[in-house]
Amino acid sequence: MTLGAVLRKIFMVDILTGMSVTFRHQKQADVITEQYPLERPVIAERYRGQPRLAVDPETGETLCNGCGMCVTACPEKLITVTSERDPETKKKKMTTYTLDLSRCMFCGLCQEACPTDCIELTQDYEMALYSREGMVLSREQLEQGPKPTVYER
Amino acid sequence: MEPLTRYLSSNVTPGEAGDMLWITIYILIVFAGVSVAVICMNWLERKILAHMQIRLGPMRVGPHGLLQPIADAVKLLIKEDVIPAKADKLMFWFAPLIVVMTAFTLFLVVPFGRTHAVTDMNIGILFMLGASSLSVLGVIIGGWSSNSHYPLLGALRSSAQMVSYEIAMGLAIVAAVLMTSLQTGTGTLSMIGIVESQAAQQTWFAFQFFPLGFIALVIFSIAMVAETNRAPFDLPEAESELVAGFMTEYSGIRWSLFFLAEYASMMAVSSIAVTLWLGGWLRPFPNALGGHAWDVAFSLVPGIAFLGLAAMCLLGAIRMPKVGALRVQTVGLAGFGVVLGLVGLVMLLPGVRERVQDIFWFVAKASIFMYLYIWYRGTFPRYRFDQLMKVGWKVLLPIALAVLILTALVGVRQELYAVFAGVIR
Repeated sequence: MTLGAVLRKIFMVDILTGMSVTFRHQKQADVITEQYPLERPVIAERYRGQPRLAVDPETGETLCNGCGMCVTACPEKLITVTSERDPETKKKKMTTYTLDLSRCMFCGLCQEACPTDCIELTQDYEMALYSREGMVLSREQLEQGPKPTVYER
Repeated sequence: MEPLTRYLSSNVTPGEAGDMLWITIYILIVFAGVSVAVICMNWLERKILAHMQIRLGPMRVGPHGLLQPIADAVKLLIKEDVIPAKADKLMFWFAPLIVVMTAFTLFLVVPFGRTHAVTDMNIGILFMLGASSLSVLGVIIGGWSSNSHYPLLGALRSSAQMVSYEIAMGLAIVAAVLMTSLQTGTGTLSMIGIVESQAAQQTWFAFQFFPLGFIALVIFSIAMVAETNRAPFDLPEAESELVAGFMTEYSGIRWSLFFLAEYASMMAVSSIAVTLWLGGWLRPFPNALGGHAWDVAFSLVPGIAFLGLAAMCLLGAIRMPKVGALRVQTVGLAGFGVVLGLVGLVMLLPGVRERVQDIFWFVAKASIFMYLYIWYRGTFPRYRFDQLMKVGWKVLLPIALAVLILTALVGVRQELYAVFAGVIR
């Protein structure tokens, strides 16, 4: 052992260096904790979260034309659409729409397939529930879209 | 009014005066004070440790988690009290009591000021050492009576560690006690006597025969960490190896008794260090900044410190977001600030500040050691058991012996010089 190493040991230089490191880290500016329900992270635009069905913002009618492209596109086969032909306009009209979120892997293929940009994946990620049944989203739930809880202390 | 005037006119501790009423009051005050300090320490430790690890620590219960210890205490008190079926019931029940009682008994002789101690024993420091070693018994009983592997292993480790570090600790203490015999020729073991001899020699023992006193202080401050089973010497309760050591089978209120005792004994050994080496209740810089004006200035410090705390609380209350849900907290913080401010103002009164400043300086010095405990815990990884024993027996013990011998030699030399120079003491 060299003299320097011995002196380092006697005066506990390494121990004091370590202690100065922890002391300097005490300043509040270093804290990287996010107070989650109060502070939320910024979610990227292209994040694929809970799906929703878009409605026409003026008339409030669904954009879905009941074509069923999303049903065929879905690799997990978790979307079911029923539709009927409108006797007056002779156009297909969507009647019910269910999406089983519990099996969804958020691949976004339904969004790609949709010709009217009706189904889309939102940036919402709070999907925890107490029952499996609740994970099957109905047309109304999908059209209302995700409603994240707003927390205050 | 008679007891009050009797107390105010006395300039010895109630124990010396034989005043049963004030002894009882002092015991109650010390008991309550130590318990409150444990609560504060719990919060501070979690906060400071969190900040050292770049976290926030408790934030939810009260402003900045100030009420978290109370929430924890309530949770521990209403928890189910489990005694393992195969455990020795009586001993299992008895172990936490031993640990708590010894930890609190230590505070009988801790001198918070010349008049602010329950009593002054002429063997005060021996009493502290003896009573604090009794807590090893509680730890062993607790680990053994649990009738389980981890507690037993933890208790054995703990007893080996506490016993082996007591030697280095004792030698360091003897070095300081030797210093009390300088100038007078007769040393003292009384806690108050030790502080008074530091006042008479006009130096704290940490700076007496520099660096000898300081090395003794360093040895003591390492040994006391091992003695109280705190990180980095927390092998008896090494979570990753032994679950929780001797406390594994304990839960609820019994566990919280162990917790209380751990922090109380931390404070007790810190106050030994303060008494022996850092001048106990004496204010800092009595020589360099001496004289009446400085005395008054230093006696104002406690009141000003409290006013500063009050200002911080009020500032925090003003800066609190104006949300309905936060109203109770804001009002509570402001009220706390007002109370602190009133206490600070009372401490500025001439009659009060002379009596209170002793306690303030003692507690301020002891809290440095409490901060060091947290600091160590945030910095150092745990020692392996052989490393622990190596540090205790091969490093601290020889250094402590050398310091003891050198202190004796230097002290004798100084006394002989004084005799030859004809200094009359």
